[in-house]
Amino acid sequence: MSVETLKNEVLRTEHLTKIYRMGEVDVVALRDVNFAVRRGEFVAIMGASGSGKSTLLHLLGGLDTPTEGEVYLNGQALSKLSDDQITLLRRQKIGFIFQFYNLLPTLNAVENVALPLMIDGQHPSQYQAKVTELLHLVRLEGRETHRPDQLSGGQQQRVAIARAFVNQPEIVLADEPTGNLDSRSGKAILELLKKVCKEFRTTVVMVTHDPKAASYADRVVFLKDGQILNEIVGQNGRVPFEQIMDFMAALEA
Amino acid sequence: MHALWFIALRNLSQRKFRAFLTAIGVLLGVSVVLAIEVTNQTTIDSLRSVFDRAAGQASLLVIPSSQKDENLKQGLLPTVQSVKGVAVAAPSLRVNTLPADEAGDWQIALNLNGVAVGSFFLLYGIDPALDPQVRVYVLAEGRMPQAGRYEIVLPRKYAEEKKLRLGNGLILLTPQGTARFKITGLLANEGVALINDGVVGFAPLKVVQESFHLEGQLDEIAIRTSETISSKPALLEELKRSLQQRIGKNGDVVYPDSRGVVVSQMLATYQLGLSFFSIIAIFVGSFLVYNTFSMTVSERIREIGMLRAIGMSRKQVLSTVLIEAFVVAFFGSLAGIPLGILLARGLIRMTDAVITPSEEVFSLSVPIILEALAVGIGVALLSALQPAIRASRISPLEALRVRAKSDTKPAKAIWITGFCLIAFGYFVIYGMSWPEHWMFPVGSIAVLTIFLGATLTVTLAIQYLELISRRLAAKAYGSEGRLGSANVRRTVGRTTLTVASLMVSLTMIISINSVATSFKKDMGDWIDSALGGDLYVRSAVTMRQSFGNQLRSVPGVAVVTPTRVLEVRVAPESLPKDTLQNEFYLYAIDPDTFRQIADLQFTDAQADPEASWARLKRGNAVFISNVTAERYRLKTGDRITILTPRGKHSFTIAGVVLDFTGQRGVMYTSYQDLQTYFGESGADRFTLKVAPGYSVDQVAAEIESRYQKRRHISLQSTREFKQSVLNLVESAFRLFDVLGLIGILIGALGVVNTLTMNVIERQREIGALRSIGMTRLQVMRMILAEALAHGTMGGIYGLLFGFLIAQVMVLAMNLMIGYNLSYKFNWQPFLIGLVIAFLVAQMAAIGPAQRAARVNIIEAIKHE
Ligand SMILES: Nc1ncnc2c1ncn2[C@@H]1O[C@H](COP(=O)(O)OP(=O)(O)OP(=O)(O)O)[C@@H](O)[C@H]1O
Ligand SMILES: [Mg+2]
Repeated sequence: MSVETLKNEVLRTEHLTKIYRMGEVDVVALRDVNFAVRRGEFVAIMGASGSGKSTLLHLLGGLDTPTEGEVYLNGQALSKLSDDQITLLRRQKIGFIFQFYNLLPTLNAVENVALPLMIDGQHPSQYQAKVTELLHLVRLEGRETHRPDQLSGGQQQRVAIARAFVNQPEIVLADEPTGNLDSRSGKAILELLKKVCKEFRTTVVMVTHDPKAASYADRVVFLKDGQILNEIVGQNGRVPFEQIMDFMAALEA
Repeated sequence: MHALWFIALRNLSQRKFRAFLTAIGVLLGVSVVLAIEVTNQTTIDSLRSVFDRAAGQASLLVIPSSQKDENLKQGLLPTVQSVKGVAVAAPSLRVNTLPADEAGDWQIALNLNGVAVGSFFLLYGIDPALDPQVRVYVLAEGRMPQAGRYEIVLPRKYAEEKKLRLGNGLILLTPQGTARFKITGLLANEGVALINDGVVGFAPLKVVQESFHLEGQLDEIAIRTSETISSKPALLEELKRSLQQRIGKNGDVVYPDSRGVVVSQMLATYQLGLSFFSIIAIFVGSFLVYNTFSMTVSERIREIGMLRAIGMSRKQVLSTVLIEAFVVAFFGSLAGIPLGILLARGLIRMTDAVITPSEEVFSLSVPIILEALAVGIGVALLSALQPAIRASRISPLEALRVRAKSDTKPAKAIWITGFCLIAFGYFVIYGMSWPEHWMFPVGSIAVLTIFLGATLTVTLAIQYLELISRRLAAKAYGSEGRLGSANVRRTVGRTTLTVASLMVSLTMIISINSVATSFKKDMGDWIDSALGGDLYVRSAVTMRQSFGNQLRSVPGVAVVTPTRVLEVRVAPESLPKDTLQNEFYLYAIDPDTFRQIADLQFTDAQADPEASWARLKRGNAVFISNVTAERYRLKTGDRITILTPRGKHSFTIAGVVLDFTGQRGVMYTSYQDLQTYFGESGADRFTLKVAPGYSVDQVAAEIESRYQKRRHISLQSTREFKQSVLNLVESAFRLFDVLGLIGILIGALGVVNTLTMNVIERQREIGALRSIGMTRLQVMRMILAEALAHGTMGGIYGLLFGFLIAQVMVLAMNLMIGYNLSYKFNWQPFLIGLVIAFLVAQMAAIGPAQRAARVNIIEAIKHE
């Protein structure tokens, strides 16, 4: 590996293994996963239900700790950090997008987007402009003071995207961000994600079931039974949909 | 049916922690109700038992006639004994005296709500052979005294305190000097040994009469009848009537209970206070139970919707929820009983400082336990019913769609009702006048109405008060503080109940403290003016008036004024019907010297002090205390008939004066009237004013060295006396402080409960916050801020209603006891209340905050 690629690498895992111990039985959720992501790359992770996608994402974001192996973010080994340090890392360097949005119902759109900055102790005057701009970017102008229960699912997800990008993270981790949306809103979200990602040169790792969604990525990684099976590298910022379908069909067979 | 139990029990076992919290709520409610009921009943019973034991197996008593002010004649005894049905007639005489060695440091027996500061030694003259047949004597050692000998039996406890042993002599003060009694027996701590708090002794009648110059006189003849009569009320009543006929105007035949009734009346204040607290306890306990249940049910609306969707009927849904509530409430209530008993023991210990200490009495009865259980289970079922009905009414689809609401706006009707209730309660108290026996029930209901109204208005107030608490929270906890504070808006119902229970307990603490401060202030002012002077000179036996002149000649004494205290009886026709107590204290004073030292405060609105004093000096007149005036509905210009040794005599009431010495009626008259109508003179106390340039201690030392040995006098400075009285008041109010603390405990539990429920409910949100970079510490601070908001709101409400209720309490004390207190604002209780509100809220939040900080992020955000 050249120095150049090393420098470009944001995220990297080594022998990442996660075993859930359930009484007598061990459930191996991830097994020896070695995987790296370059700066600015949009990676989709696909796999059947239970293949370990979410587990991998959680480990990448420092939400959980691996049984074995290591996650490096910007060359920094996460297992060496304390809980508070990882929390701070999440606050400043990582953005999360969930299938169920996970917005705070008490806060309106602006406040939800500003939440990571608020938590960071920043003063509203410091971030007001930035938040408004982001809401424009996700095309929610006019909805600034709406609360989550006054927004549609797609709109809520756009708020969540804005929130994930608000502190200009190194990397955004998304777990089935379109899983709960109809295909049209899903498409809009994906386009938005891609746009924001390119605009901020942010790395995105997205878990999805949906080959259509995966086709927006620069690269698709396939997981099976906790292991990386294969990957398809796309061209011109797209992985051809047919190629993904072909691969999945091969998997089924 | 079986399926419903299965679902209900499964639900409970899956949500152990929540079930546990709910049960804790019930447990506390039940234990508080139980504790207060038991304390209340024990107080009454222990008093009754003391009097029952003193009266023993006597079924009837002959006491001095209410028509004449004189003792019973011993000559009456054979007449009584000769009446058919009388098995035993035991005569007795009571005198107040003191052991000679205590004369020096003896303090005046000032009676306040039935409590005495320093007390007399009560000497009974009895027939050693007959008395054990009517009273309970349990000898621990030795034997009863022998008739005609100077022998005595004492409670063993008292003897131990005085370091006296069998065979030692006890020297008692008598009008001539002293008399020595040989101790022949020591009494176990029951029966007669409990009379007068155990400061009592029993000697043969004859020697008591002899040494106190009361030959041929009795205070009481206790009558024991045959079993057949005593067990049949009708026969006993007949015997009572024929006895009364036989002795005519020489005495009154009464049932032994009457003295107990008198004392119970003296404790009326306490009982009122305690009953009020038991109502508050039920109220707050219900709150807690309701709070927890409405939470558990409403958060399960989705789940209930699912059950409905798969075909559960409404009735089945209701039953499942109620079964669950019943199981939790049943175990919670059951567990509340031991805690309640423990709490009651503590409370009773506190009251012991104030009321007759009598161990052994602990009035735990089945009805009380059942009542507490009923409150626990009943309130739980009722609390569960409302949300359960609400849940069962929702269509399955709707229930499944229910989402976490961001904010709930209270229904307008709720807070409007709240304001109406407050106004109504206020009007009932201030706008209407009620007959005396209605005052307490109506007043308590009005206060509860106000509390309820206040609670309903919290729903609205949250909108505005939260803005205040948000600023505070932001100051204390930064931006996560702001988030936490805002969270209280989300569950208006829950927040309301939490704020309300904090409010109720704070209100109690603040108002009681305010009343106590007002009371102490007024009492202090009264002592300063009415008692005046610098120094008291007292003696257990009446001093000659001329001793005043000798005192006057001591260097440094500027003024001396004598006071004589008599117990007199007022003719029943002067008092309203059904008045049980007609014994008054009559203070004889010398108006001229008295006014140089002290001053009486006249409480009549149109009082003219000079005219009143002039009227008193003209003679044939008395002043009465404000309590007396209130109780017997007397006023200046009325006449009052007193039974004097020379027959009935009617006096003009020349004025109504402020007095705090207690429930017993108090009157003042001049020495001139004392001489003319009572044929008495002498002084029980001299009040001295020290001349400028002399110190009180100096003068006291001089008087001691001159007279103490010879005259058994005791000296006390006004300052000391005032302090001892104030200390007494302090301890009387301490009981209520303890109750206030229980209230705080409940308030704290309300906060714990609410926050825990909130944390459980918002796991997902907390997980999300943690995932976007909130540290554990910040999560804790967020929860603490939420509690801070509860504290702020509860504090503000508590201050507001504490102020209001304090005034209601002052009004109640004035109306029901006849005091003339005025509410004085004092910031201290309010400050204390506010500090307590914040402290309690913050401390209660620590547990839930830690719980929130430990939330597992992945678990929390994983599934919908
Ligand atoms: N807390 C846990 N305890 C035990 N096993 C778990 C736990 N969390 C996940 N697993 C197991 O780990 C494996 C991987 O789970 P994971 O949630 O990563 O799957 P996934 O690929 O995200 O599936 P899906 O597409 O359904 O979300 C599964 O077999 C799952 O049962
Ligand atoms: Mg998953």
